[in-house]
Amino acid sequence: MSNSVTQLKEGISGRISHFTDDHVAGKLMTMGVMPGSRVRVVRVAPLNGGYYLKVDGMSIVVRSNEAHNIMTIQDKE
Amino acid sequence: MNTIALAGNPNSGKSSLFNQLTGLRQKVANFPGVTVEKKSGKMQLPAGEDVMLVDFPGAYSLYPNSEDERVVLNVLANPQDPDFPDAVVYVADLTNLEKHLLLLTQIKDLGLPCLLALNMADTAQQQGISVDEKRLASLLQMPVLTVSGRTGYHIAELKQAIADLLRPVQAGHENAATQLYQPGPTEAATLRRVQQALGIENPYRALLTAHHAERLPHLAADERSAVASICEAENFQSLRLQIAETMHRFAIFTPVLQAGVTKKAEENSLSDRLDAVFTHRIFAPLIFFATMFVVFQAVFAWASYPMDWIEMGFGWAAESLKQVLPAGLLTSLLTDGLLAGLGGIVVFVPQIAILFFLITLLEEVGYMSRAVFIFDKLMQQFGLNGRSVVALVSGGACAIPAIMSTRTIGNWKERLITILVTPLISCSARIPVYTVLIGFVVPPDRVLGLFNAQGLAFMGLYLLGIVAALGSAWVFKKILKSSDPSWLMMQLPPYRLPVWRNVWQTIWEKTSAFVLGAGKVILVASVVLWGLASFGPSAKMEAAKAAATSIAEQKNLTESDSADLVAAYKIEASFAGHLGKFIEPVIRPLGFDWKIGIALITSFAAREVFVATMATIYSIGSTDDEATIHSRLAEARNPQTGAKVYTTATAASLLIFYVFALQCMSTLAVVKRETGGWKWPIVQFLFMGLMAYLGSWVVYSLMS
Repeated sequence: MSNSVTQLKEGISGRISHFTDDHVAGKLMTMGVMPGSRVRVVRVAPLNGGYYLKVDGMSIVVRSNEAHNIMTIQDKE
Repeated sequence: MNTIALAGNPNSGKSSLFNQLTGLRQKVANFPGVTVEKKSGKMQLPAGEDVMLVDFPGAYSLYPNSEDERVVLNVLANPQDPDFPDAVVYVADLTNLEKHLLLLTQIKDLGLPCLLALNMADTAQQQGISVDEKRLASLLQMPVLTVSGRTGYHIAELKQAIADLLRPVQAGHENAATQLYQPGPTEAATLRRVQQALGIENPYRALLTAHHAERLPHLAADERSAVASICEAENFQSLRLQIAETMHRFAIFTPVLQAGVTKKAEENSLSDRLDAVFTHRIFAPLIFFATMFVVFQAVFAWASYPMDWIEMGFGWAAESLKQVLPAGLLTSLLTDGLLAGLGGIVVFVPQIAILFFLITLLEEVGYMSRAVFIFDKLMQQFGLNGRSVVALVSGGACAIPAIMSTRTIGNWKERLITILVTPLISCSARIPVYTVLIGFVVPPDRVLGLFNAQGLAFMGLYLLGIVAALGSAWVFKKILKSSDPSWLMMQLPPYRLPVWRNVWQTIWEKTSAFVLGAGKVILVASVVLWGLASFGPSAKMEAAKAAATSIAEQKNLTESDSADLVAAYKIEASFAGHLGKFIEPVIRPLGFDWKIGIALITSFAAREVFVATMATIYSIGSTDDEATIHSRLAEARNPQTGAKVYTTATAASLLIFYVFALQCMSTLAVVKRETGGWKWPIVQFLFMGLMAYLGSWVVYSLMS
């Protein structure tokens, strides 16, 4: 069962399963954010803005409407 | 001379490596037709041969998402491009290697000889990352070398490797083009037809042409339509195929990396701990504003000493020249025209250098991209982008480099709005104007026994500029339509100590760009102004001189007082006086007289010319000393009524005018280049001019 990365709390990790928008996928994948990548939510910006993610050890930021398209499977506690 | 491209992702440390390889022998220009900065420099290979090294903008792939990335595609997809390289040095961050190789495999498939430079070897070692260079080289079929742009590790070896890479090229051997990426059936059929139709030999170049034909500038219209009809016939779905290609490429090199690179498990690094504070919901904005406050304080406090020395130096030089040379037109041109103009340029060098020093430092240590993240949401409310923060902050130094920095904003509407409102941020050229005028509006008292009232007024003017910028951005957001998707996807570099070499290089570049670019305009404007103020219709000039002399005799004035009176009468009769009087009816409602009118006109060359103009008009000579000018302005009276010209209302109105008005030719020129036409600079000039006029009129009406 996969959920959007925006449903993960700060500090929680998971694995990317797929993307729900091709444009967002195209851009993210050129940066190396792939299905199968490990992802952790480091921080959500003030005013419920962007998401600061760690993807396979790389720090990236995306807007929340982009983050909504990143589907993840949360790690088991 | 052979051309070597330095390519790689943003944050791969390419610039440090470029500085290591070329030293101070570099040139900054633009890629033809766009304002994306192109740095190039000669580099000497071990055998003594020179090659041209071109630093390509950072890019993730040949499927561009920004202007920077588009330039890389445009050059590499067109072998006839003057910047098309003979070989490529691909720079990748060793600490993040698996995310950095997509573009490399694309460039390799274009048939270009490649060399992989694994940068940040020093950091990788600290993190316990080790790499089997030989194994990686044989798997990727290209030379691989670990280097460090920060410490200079393996730079000599890199130069040798470049020489080795070039040898077959120079001998005329074709690069044996084995394609890493095997296209699927649709791609294969399409690219074969594009190859035939356009006569393209390399299959991957043909595939890229199919993807990008619409926007590749080197294609002719008939070639474009030919490619379009092929794509339609083959049902070529660009976006879907792009994604498939990217997946495929990652699948090629990811196993290669697992075999060649050993990595320790991810741990809570220093960067993460710093980010816990610097991106904190509450602390982050506080830290940002505190940082900006310190930056501006530093610019004022540190710069004031060298500025005083420069002013004293130029004042002394002008006086000495006047003593040595015979009095006359030529001496006047030298001292009041040329020397005053030069002084007006050089005096800003300390402020510009210090501001760029601090902004570059913030970028180098990795802080700026955190600010982008923090403020993106807020900026979106005003139709801007998180990246606009960098432009708006840099706008505090000078709008020109700030506007050029917007090219990393992918969305055209957000980029355009950023360009349009950035000049409303008070730049360093407004500082001298504010300094001279603020004394008329606010007494130098203490507020609450702590703050300097003039300092607070200064801050108020800056805030007014910021509010105006955000307000007009909001209006533009409502007016402008855009179908471009708006997005922000950005890598945050780890925090690191600055590479001082890079910092000095940037300061040197920006400062010399100001002196040589804006400086030329200011110098010419000073001389033209001197000419306008010194000459006029000869009959009127003579009459003015006679009238002034007779008044001086009647009133029994001293020699120097009568000389001042003659000068004042003469400037009124001069061309400058005529020009000022011509626009006086328009600016009268704002409380400005014709003398201020002259200053407004000449300020258009550059705002700081205002001070020099006032110095000339009030015959203070070649001084930029604000205190002298201030006291002279305070004495100025309307010859008819005897009322003071610089009342609180006039000065306040003038201040408001300078906050809003776009009085800078260089900014307009840059905006024209960035937006590709005169439409937007004209819109910008008009809306800012209207704000200035209305703002000044309201202030003057309320206060007088």
